[in-house]
Amino acid sequence: MNAIGWKRWLPGTRSGVIAAPYLWLLLFFAVPFVIILMISFARTQVGSPPYTWLLEYVDGAFSLKLHLGNYAALIQDSQYALAYLSSIKIAVIATLFTLLIGYPMAYVISRMSPAARNVAMMLVVLPSWTSFLIRVYAWIGILDRNGLLNQLLLKIGVIDAPLQILYTPTAAYIGIVYCYLPFMVLPLYANLVKLDNRLLEAAYDLGARPWQAFLKITLPLSRGGIIAGCMLVMIPAVGEFVIPEMLGGPDTLMIGRVLWGEFFNNRDWPTASAVAIVMLALLLVPILLFNRVQQRELEGRLT
Amino acid sequence: MSMVRRSRWLGWSVLGLGFAFLYLPILLLMIYSFNASKLATVWSGFSTRWYGELMNDRQILDALWISLKVAFWTACAATVLGTMAAMVVTRFKRFPGKTLFGALITAPLVMPEVILGFSLMTLLVAMGGIPGFPSRGVGSIWIAHVTLTLSFVTVIVSSRLQELDRSLEEAAMDLGASRLKVFFQITLPIIAPALVAGWLLAFTLSLDDVVIASFVAGPNSTTLPMKVFASVRMGIKPEINALATLMVLAVSAVAVLGWFITARSEKRRQRDMQMALQDNG
Amino acid sequence: MPFEAKPEGEVVPVLEPGYLSIRALRKEFDGFVALDDVSLDVRKGEIFALLGGSGSGKSTLLRCLGGFETPTAGTIDLDGQRINALPPYQRPINMMFQSYALFPHMSVEQNIAFGLKQDGLDRDAIRRRVGEMLELVQLQKLARRKPHQLSGGQQQRVALARSLAKGPKLLLLDEPMGALDKKLRSQMQLELVNIIETSGVTCVMVTHDQEEAMTMATRIAVMDAGWIQQVGKPDEIYEQPANRFVAGFIGSVNLFEGVIDEDLPEYVTVRTPLFPAPIYVAHGITCYEGQEVAFALRPEKVMIGKDEPAGDTNKAQGVIEEIAYFGSHSVYHVRLPGGAKVLSNFANSQRWASDGLTWGDTVWVHWRDNDGVVLTA
Repeated sequence: MNAIGWKRWLPGTRSGVIAAPYLWLLLFFAVPFVIILMISFARTQVGSPPYTWLLEYVDGAFSLKLHLGNYAALIQDSQYALAYLSSIKIAVIATLFTLLIGYPMAYVISRMSPAARNVAMMLVVLPSWTSFLIRVYAWIGILDRNGLLNQLLLKIGVIDAPLQILYTPTAAYIGIVYCYLPFMVLPLYANLVKLDNRLLEAAYDLGARPWQAFLKITLPLSRGGIIAGCMLVMIPAVGEFVIPEMLGGPDTLMIGRVLWGEFFNNRDWPTASAVAIVMLALLLVPILLFNRVQQRELEGRLT
Repeated sequence: MSMVRRSRWLGWSVLGLGFAFLYLPILLLMIYSFNASKLATVWSGFSTRWYGELMNDRQILDALWISLKVAFWTACAATVLGTMAAMVVTRFKRFPGKTLFGALITAPLVMPEVILGFSLMTLLVAMGGIPGFPSRGVGSIWIAHVTLTLSFVTVIVSSRLQELDRSLEEAAMDLGASRLKVFFQITLPIIAPALVAGWLLAFTLSLDDVVIASFVAGPNSTTLPMKVFASVRMGIKPEINALATLMVLAVSAVAVLGWFITARSEKRRQRDMQMALQDNG
Repeated sequence: MPFEAKPEGEVVPVLEPGYLSIRALRKEFDGFVALDDVSLDVRKGEIFALLGGSGSGKSTLLRCLGGFETPTAGTIDLDGQRINALPPYQRPINMMFQSYALFPHMSVEQNIAFGLKQDGLDRDAIRRRVGEMLELVQLQKLARRKPHQLSGGQQQRVALARSLAKGPKLLLLDEPMGALDKKLRSQMQLELVNIIETSGVTCVMVTHDQEEAMTMATRIAVMDAGWIQQVGKPDEIYEQPANRFVAGFIGSVNLFEGVIDEDLPEYVTVRTPLFPAPIYVAHGITCYEGQEVAFALRPEKVMIGKDEPAGDTNKAQGVIEEIAYFGSHSVYHVRLPGGAKVLSNFANSQRWASDGLTWGDTVWVHWRDNDGVVLTA
């Protein structure tokens, strides 16, 4: 609303409306990050909680003990670096494929009549309303050595022996693209559907071929949607756990699995925290980029 | 084929392939849930025995009940908090800390779930000593899920709030309604469909989550996805096929019903507008 | 009867403030001045129009009256009560929005009753009042309908009924005809005025359409760049513009820039390069010799014909360069020897007549000695 608005609320109501979600998110979203930051500088110990406190009260004074060993371990053990790089590689490549499949779909749908568009978008979103877990699980049956894909390929004679797709990185790629496709199509569609068709008509009128008009007009104008879609896929994909765990094999290195392993298998909270902090640091720039685009979207492009 | 016809044919085939990609795995799953054989990839006859075994599996049914409870309360809380946040973002002018608020709202949308789950777990453990604070159990899962889904509700409701004609709210104030009354008597009824959509989305996200729940759940609070995940880590489990089919059917039924209702009310609306035009002004 | 051009657009505050009294109202948006210390008085029962182009500040002024913008400085008093610090829901003012802003989830009845409910009236009183309003705007049969089931004209009437239901001290209209098509507009203008006058409410309306302002309003304030250029009755604004802006903004005008040649109590002449002879004004004006002025002459006051008119003053010969045909009248563009163009507005009172005037004809243009206005601003 405009300037008159907020001063007129009962001071209690307005503050309350701001405070409730603000405090919730501060406490349950922001504060945990501070805690894992602290834990990443702590040592493991047996018991609960399985880490030492940073503050020590010795001789009447507080002192802060920062244990850098966890980070040192990350740097020294090449497995971690490999996992980070592998995660980023997988996420980026999967995002690319998702974009290559999702953009044409979003484009075609945005050109349909309003009634058909709504049906089509509902069909795109519907799979993501069924369980994510179930959908990943579905691919196990398809990609297995005795699975349906191999059966099909053998039957039509394209291959002689069954392909080993399941439990390889390839399966993880397929899984990520499959599960995240709707998240790419949605923002692309939202952007493309707002594109004024008359701009294209003007371009054709001035002599541009359809593909030229697409490259020079449609593509640049859909940049916001592309960025939003890519961020929505890439950032969570870097930290993916379920897909590489169920579809990928031992050589599908992803940092999400590392974190899970450090916590559930090794009970090593400090190392897990360090892993998480470094992951956050890597993702900070994309997250800020997404944040900027999304905030403008949320506010309706007010400053 | 002319340029236009060719590109249209291309467009339809792209769309067709895309939808096939999206739906084929689910359809195959559903078909094989009726497979008599335990090997889910070899068809050996039609049977509903896996549905029977599913109905008798105590553990799965318990987990389902917990998941439904958590999802329901998550959706309710997330809708209330998310709508508040949406109002703040779209209607309130600058206040100290607004940029941070915006960041807190958008970050959960892309945060990897392992980080969300792990960090929240550490908080819950650290606060475990405080009396009255939910220990690791259903309560902690609820807290985690609300934190996850709040932002999604905000996105949906903000989008609707932006489209809302501001002059409706101004007119209500002009006629004597205070800000609070305007919200409850005018804004809320009009954005209600967006709230329903947000509620459903939060419900779905909560029902489906396995990673976060695994981190924050307690010993007696196993959710359905956790159970399913534990079962299928080792491979195919035919019972799960049956469960999957039932879930897909349930979701589809709700979705089709929702689409049908909106389509019918839209048609009625069009008819009303036609009727109005035919009257003499 | 002496006519006199008013001094530069300044509104001198009346000794006794009006029913609505605006003093030195200022509104700035991030350095941009939307209202530049505006002062205005509106009398009770008047229909007062704020007329101006986009960016003139008229809408900002209206929104300040309604309470949707907080002025940076200045005061607003209504019936003796200082209201500029009150929120919209505490002001005895109601507004009819340009988009009508009818609540889509409520019926016509419920829309009209909304304001009454906020006041806590009991059910019977509300029903009675709603009935009165429906009768006022002639929509009794459509009480149960929802807004999307109504045509544009019907929606407007509901919006009007809703804004009159509480019997406000001041009614605000934001571009009331903006959403209607041309045919409906003229009809609704008169209907609207009737309804407002029947209810006796004081009204301030905003419009960019001069015709609308002139037809509907008792008095008009012409605004530009956050400032009031002139306030007056429609005929005053039209026949006695205070400055070049108002002269050019309302209708069309012939403007001759020149210099005062002779300044006498009985007459004044203006020498201008745009007219072959000095322009003769048959009454005295407050001015001085050599003062730079503009002579404003409305096209319908310019007579045109083949024969030389009688009299010595205010006549010249020229060539018809263009004829714009408007059905009910034609506008002749006559090029004078000095290069200036004069517009003459001629009603086509006879079918196929036009005196045989056509392009390229040499004609005489002339006007009566008191038909124009000398502008010193």
